[in-house]
Amino acid sequence: MADTHSLFFGDQDGLKTPWQILGFALLVLLLMGASALIENNVNPYVQRIIVNCGIGIILGLSLNLVNGCAGQFSLGHAGFMAVGAYVSAYLTTVLMPFGAFFQSDLGVGTAVVAGGLAAGLSGYVVGLPSLRLRGDYLAIVTLGFGEIIRIVFLNISAVGGPRGLPGIPLASNFFWVYLWAIVTFAIIYRLIHSSAGRAILSIREDEISSQSMGVDVSHYKVVAFVISAFFAGVAGGLFAHYQGFIDPNTFNFNRSVEVVIMVVIGGMGSLSGAVIGAVLVTMLPELLRFFAEYRMVIFSGLLVLVMLLRPMGIFGRHEIWEASWFANLKRKPKP
Amino acid sequence: MSASSAKEVLKLNDVSVSFGGLKAVSQFGISLHESELCGLIGPNGAGKTTVFNLITGVYLPDSGTMDLDGQNLCGLPPHEITKAGIARTFQNIRLYKELTVLENVLVSYHMRKPYGYVDALLRTRQYYAKEHELKEHALRLLSVVGLKNNPDDFAGSLSYGDQRRLEIARALATSPKVLLLDEPGAGLNSGEKVELMKVVSKIRDQFKVTILVIEHDMKFVMGICERILVLDHGELIAEGTPKQIQSNPKVIEAYLGVADA
Repeated sequence: MADTHSLFFGDQDGLKTPWQILGFALLVLLLMGASALIENNVNPYVQRIIVNCGIGIILGLSLNLVNGCAGQFSLGHAGFMAVGAYVSAYLTTVLMPFGAFFQSDLGVGTAVVAGGLAAGLSGYVVGLPSLRLRGDYLAIVTLGFGEIIRIVFLNISAVGGPRGLPGIPLASNFFWVYLWAIVTFAIIYRLIHSSAGRAILSIREDEISSQSMGVDVSHYKVVAFVISAFFAGVAGGLFAHYQGFIDPNTFNFNRSVEVVIMVVIGGMGSLSGAVIGAVLVTMLPELLRFFAEYRMVIFSGLLVLVMLLRPMGIFGRHEIWEASWFANLKRKPKP
Repeated sequence: MSASSAKEVLKLNDVSVSFGGLKAVSQFGISLHESELCGLIGPNGAGKTTVFNLITGVYLPDSGTMDLDGQNLCGLPPHEITKAGIARTFQNIRLYKELTVLENVLVSYHMRKPYGYVDALLRTRQYYAKEHELKEHALRLLSVVGLKNNPDDFAGSLSYGDQRRLEIARALATSPKVLLLDEPGAGLNSGEKVELMKVVSKIRDQFKVTILVIEHDMKFVMGICERILVLDHGELIAEGTPKQIQSNPKVIEAYLGVADA
């Protein structure tokens, strides 16, 4: 891993801080350009799919941290997403006295981060049972948590209850979603390739030896849950401000499963795998509309096929730039 | 080196633990001295690994005291005990199979918090400097145990003998005062065992670490240990130099049984 990371993230000595900032600024400019290009030239239907892919990428990457890296099987990601969506939408939509601020881009951004933080807090609460449970048992608990969240929102009339919450300002767009996707990727990538990240990976590999080597296993499980939930919350906030309307059923069990599929298809523990998994799971059902009523049958069939051909997911535990064909591409001799 | 003159490092007093009705370890007491190489032997089921699990905090003793350099160990969680200075290897190898050899060792440095989250996320100079330093140190440890050639291979792809060595390197990376080796020679052929004996002696000399080793191979134990403890049915039945142990009637009885009268 030490060698491959130089490909994307500078040489071994690293990028100096000014270059990092310049690189990020360039990325933002590039995104702004792409955003303008897409908004003016691509039809709204395709635009919507592209943005949904971006939201899926954030969800997939964040779940990957818990399921793929820390090895804790969580099935409640839609719950965290719901917390982020509702908290941020509440701030921008219902809490009108502060409306002027929360209508601005900065305000929506703040609301989305607040939604993420609230989700992170709930991640802390769900992370606690994970200290005692593992495998299937943890999956059931997190599943239960997701459902509890949904039912709580179903019964809070301040956010519309079962009728949902309409009139959310349409502030999120291609630019913001993909900016967050890139930030999510960068943060999780850098976390995993650090000392704390190795501690998290060691929990997945072997909890007993991990604690015998001085890793505070409980602490890092909770850390993984909180960070993962934060980004899921952000994804929820972006989603709410893109759709303009949310209702509790948007965040049901199916949504959680969808995110798990993204991670599993891409390869548990692979960041690039989660990205590609998210794009596939979001786009395939749309591409398959051509097959009308057989659409979901073919979609499921394709998922089965992928898992048969690549039981560890498309990239296993590796990244796309570690794949042999990609490495060969890079190694092409200079003339 | 005379054991009695050296500083006492790890001290166990009257430690007992039982599982249901079974007294796994009863009134066990040892005292290990600085950079001593001590063997722990006994028939199958004597409670040797249980002793390791007690020292490392996996099990909580029902009674007795354990302390390391005057610090009480009873009731501390395993990672705190490792931080205090006790590291171990496992009888059934427990490596992080899908991490590389180097990463397996690097995990052990984490408890000393080489740098914070901010350094990791912003990739500060501190991050690169520390990562570089840790990698250098890990590679040095790997070369001590004879594994310097393939640091980027996955740990799971190593041969059995190399996996055992990696476990030792990984435990050493926590900079322990006391190193507990649980059957490091199990599953190795005689050639590999001779190599391992050299490695274990070298580690003791180079790192001045106290080593307690469980091993069934008598050639191994008698060959490198200065002192041997014999455990049977959870009780310490003998203690002494290899010579004394070899001729101790109680030990012979525990291993071979009593001759019919």
